[in-house]
Amino acid sequence: MRAGSVARRERLRSQGHRLREGVIRWVTRRHREDGQQATLGRDRIYILPTRAGYTLLAILGVMLLGAINYSNNMAFLLTFLLAGIGHNAIWYTHRNLLGLKVSALPVSPVFAGQPTQISLRLDDTRDRDREALHLSIGGYTSEPVTVPARGQQTVRLTLPPVGRGAYRLSRQRLDTRYPLGILKAWTWLGLDTEILVYPQPVDPLSAHGGIGDASSAQRRQDASTPDHIRPYRPGDPPGRILWKALARTGKLHIRETAAGGRDTLWIDWSAMPASDTETRLSMLCHQILAADSEGRTWGLRLPDKTLPPGQGPAHRERSLRALAEFRFEPIALPITKPSRGTGA
Amino acid sequence: MTRADRHRSSGMRGLELALLALPVAALPHAWHQPPWVTLLVATAILLRTWLHLRDHQPPSIGWMALLAAFAGGLTFFQFGTLFGQEAGTALLLVMMALKLLETRNRRDIVIGLFLGYFVVVTTYFFDQSLLIAAWSLLSAWLLTAALVQVHAGRTLERRRLARQSGWMIVHALPFMLILFVAFPRVQGPLWGDPQRDDVATTALSGELNPGDIAELLQDQTTAMRVQFRDTVPPPRAQYWRALVMTDFDGRRWQAEGGGSSIELPQAEDSDNVVAYTATLEPTRVRYLPVLDYPVALPDNAEYRDNHQVVRDRRIVSRIQYDAEADLTRPPGAAESLSSAARERALRLPPSAAPQARAEVALWRATHGDDERAIIQAALDRFAAAPYRYTLQPPTLRGDVTDQFLFETQAGYCEHYASAFAVLMRSAGIPTRVVTGYQGGEWMPRGEYLRLRNADAHAWNEVWLDGEGWIRVDPTAAIAPERIEAGIAGLTGGAGEAMPDFLRRDGLGWMQQLRFGLEDWRDFARFRWESWVLAFDPERQRELFARFGLDATDWRDIVTALGAGFGLLSLMALGWALWRRPRRHRDAADRLLQRLSRRIEQQQTGLGRRAHEPVVIWTRRVKAARPDLASVVEAFAEHYNQARFAPGQREDRSWHLAELRRLAARSSVRKPRAASPVTQTTA
Repeated sequence: MRAGSVARRERLRSQGHRLREGVIRWVTRRHREDGQQATLGRDRIYILPTRAGYTLLAILGVMLLGAINYSNNMAFLLTFLLAGIGHNAIWYTHRNLLGLKVSALPVSPVFAGQPTQISLRLDDTRDRDREALHLSIGGYTSEPVTVPARGQQTVRLTLPPVGRGAYRLSRQRLDTRYPLGILKAWTWLGLDTEILVYPQPVDPLSAHGGIGDASSAQRRQDASTPDHIRPYRPGDPPGRILWKALARTGKLHIRETAAGGRDTLWIDWSAMPASDTETRLSMLCHQILAADSEGRTWGLRLPDKTLPPGQGPAHRERSLRALAEFRFEPIALPITKPSRGTGA
Repeated sequence: MTRADRHRSSGMRGLELALLALPVAALPHAWHQPPWVTLLVATAILLRTWLHLRDHQPPSIGWMALLAAFAGGLTFFQFGTLFGQEAGTALLLVMMALKLLETRNRRDIVIGLFLGYFVVVTTYFFDQSLLIAAWSLLSAWLLTAALVQVHAGRTLERRRLARQSGWMIVHALPFMLILFVAFPRVQGPLWGDPQRDDVATTALSGELNPGDIAELLQDQTTAMRVQFRDTVPPPRAQYWRALVMTDFDGRRWQAEGGGSSIELPQAEDSDNVVAYTATLEPTRVRYLPVLDYPVALPDNAEYRDNHQVVRDRRIVSRIQYDAEADLTRPPGAAESLSSAARERALRLPPSAAPQARAEVALWRATHGDDERAIIQAALDRFAAAPYRYTLQPPTLRGDVTDQFLFETQAGYCEHYASAFAVLMRSAGIPTRVVTGYQGGEWMPRGEYLRLRNADAHAWNEVWLDGEGWIRVDPTAAIAPERIEAGIAGLTGGAGEAMPDFLRRDGLGWMQQLRFGLEDWRDFARFRWESWVLAFDPERQRELFARFGLDATDWRDIVTALGAGFGLLSLMALGWALWRRPRRHRDAADRLLQRLSRRIEQQQTGLGRRAHEPVVIWTRRVKAARPDLASVVEAFAEHYNQARFAPGQREDRSWHLAELRRLAARSSVRKPRAASPVTQTTA
């Protein structure tokens, strides 16, 4: 019984969700693609009363009835004054968003299991302070921010951790209830932002008790190779600087492993000691990070993609991105909607 | 700190301001509420403030429920009900205070502040003065500021809040005015009887009881104010008729009730017609005081055969009416008195005033049928000493007429009018007592006459065949200055204590100043009352009619509202346009725009883009138009100096002059000959 009603409620909610998404799509169909930034014009700011707004409306209705009943002109005056303030609040609230420039800031990639932080930059272009702006994405809402006149402010929103993948950010909503809280003005933004979530690194050795395979054997061999010391050259990884040598000689030296200089490490999908995709990717991730911190040159071999050998931060990013995108259809973040979130 | 905690603290930012705004909104009630309500509200607010300062939580729900039940019970115990104006207001105040006490989050504050607006509006049950209006504005300003603070994401500076809230109120004022004037008005009440009590609040009651109501003449509150359209009648002609009293039982005169409606007499000579607008304070009775003798009345009033003017319903709120009077044409002039009416106007209780009757018999013997001579004899008797006019006469016992005429010989208008009527009736002359107002105070500031309750007066009308009901004022015989200068002109004689406010004799500069202030104060009050408080469905109809609209037709109301809001939108648009240029108020910026515009005219796309730094733009222009290189380079240099260098003012103005010169260079002004496009447009 209970399970049935829960399922029904779940179904209803998902139907409601679909309906609402349809409405939003219909409403926003005339919006242009936003790309990296958008300036909020009249054509994309929406405004409706909040529950407090309806409450105030009811109170004003009672005041008006009282004023009529008691033929009390001062009551008429106050009622109409408050009605005027409420009416003008449409303008104040709308204006709080109008002319605001919103730019997507790049999202720093994270490893699976870490929360993602979304940042949008807000610029005022109309010479007025913007108060109490909230960013909501998929039911998650940020703390309010203020944009000073002719200034800028970054609004940040932390999304809960998700699994490995290359995501895009789902529709964003920027809203405000300032100044009276009786109206809510909002805009829907489709800023194009990519969120990369790398696999959580897993050491293949510690994870599986060191099954002898090519990679680990190679590593062991690497570790045993005698080191060469050579003077620091710009671009060398800082992890290999010999600090003790610096203290002694006053010059920067780095340790060059035998393998690093001589041969290329191939980090290979098929060599990972695991059967499922995600674990393999985690192990590959660990390998890449290890190779990078050791300053080695590595290449990456995936079933559908091969990255030629290279080194340095750019190569590292490329490799990790290849892992994040591996066999992953881009979906929108956040995935799960908390039930309390009302979305749009 | 959990998410909920953060949420709560961020929502509670407006609490301090709410703790200030709500007591301010509630303060005027302190004068009208039982002390325990004031005490309870003050305690709750102080307690909440203390809790807030100490960072304590508000009382639990259980405690609050208990408190609410207690307060509700107390209210019921006090008023016997929880509804109606008095009890409802008390309940509202108490509940607002309790809501504030239990405030835990943003929603609670918002509800408390909304209740605050309601508290302000209930003030008007008790007081509608200009002072209360100003106080309401203050309250609304603070409540709105608190509401703004609650919804701001940070703690706003006090000045910012004050400005924001102040502008919101200022912006709403035109909206308020339009709705106030054009919102369709219906005559209340919609339900119940809105009157707090049914006690007549006018000085003029339906009875006249010589010696009973001396304290009335101490009442300096305003009864009515009158603006005359063209001519101001002389004080001796300013008799405001309200009630006519014909029936006398030996001690008490009673106003004639009922009566049937009759045609209003026409003015004989338009030179004697005085047109005026009266603003009458609520009297809770139906008669209207009108200037003698009425020849034109408002539509909703009728003239009765007993020569009283009666409105179609009780006057429960301040009203305004236009009327006209012919100063010289007494009622009944063209008629004869029916025998029943004559008999009624002669009736005296058989045992009343034996001494007076004896005296009248002597007059009759002397003057025979000469009614005028007999009237004069009575007036002469009053004029002769030792009769005196006093507002503090001895109490009369026994036969009031005889005792006054022959023993105490001291009194005010009522005594004289009553005694005179008895004398005349004994002499066989039909006589009645008329009450109303006489005199008043001329307020030079607003050019209107103010009649206070202290200006209430009683006089007589005697019937003379062929002439009608002729006014005779016996008080004028004993105290002519009462009639000429109003009650304030009386000196009070023989060291008698006159109330201070009535003294106008020998004004020193202090009193002059006080009168000047009073003149201004009453002027403001009068304008407030006549323009704002007296605006009712009838006034609205008149106002609409002045624009050729019909206030009872919804289409015309829509027209008026539309016109008002259309005008308002135009004003807003004008304001927006007027503000726009201020974005470029910097002189150097303006010149930069001028130069950019000119270069853009020469070559499309070469103008400076909105957010292009000047240096980058300069580089772009130089690349595209080497011929302009020297101009834009020099311009950029001077621009930077003028805008950003911290130099002297003279330096700056020199840089600006250079900029102006560069922007006006012929090389940038003239369209380039090489460009065929610009050539054709030039």
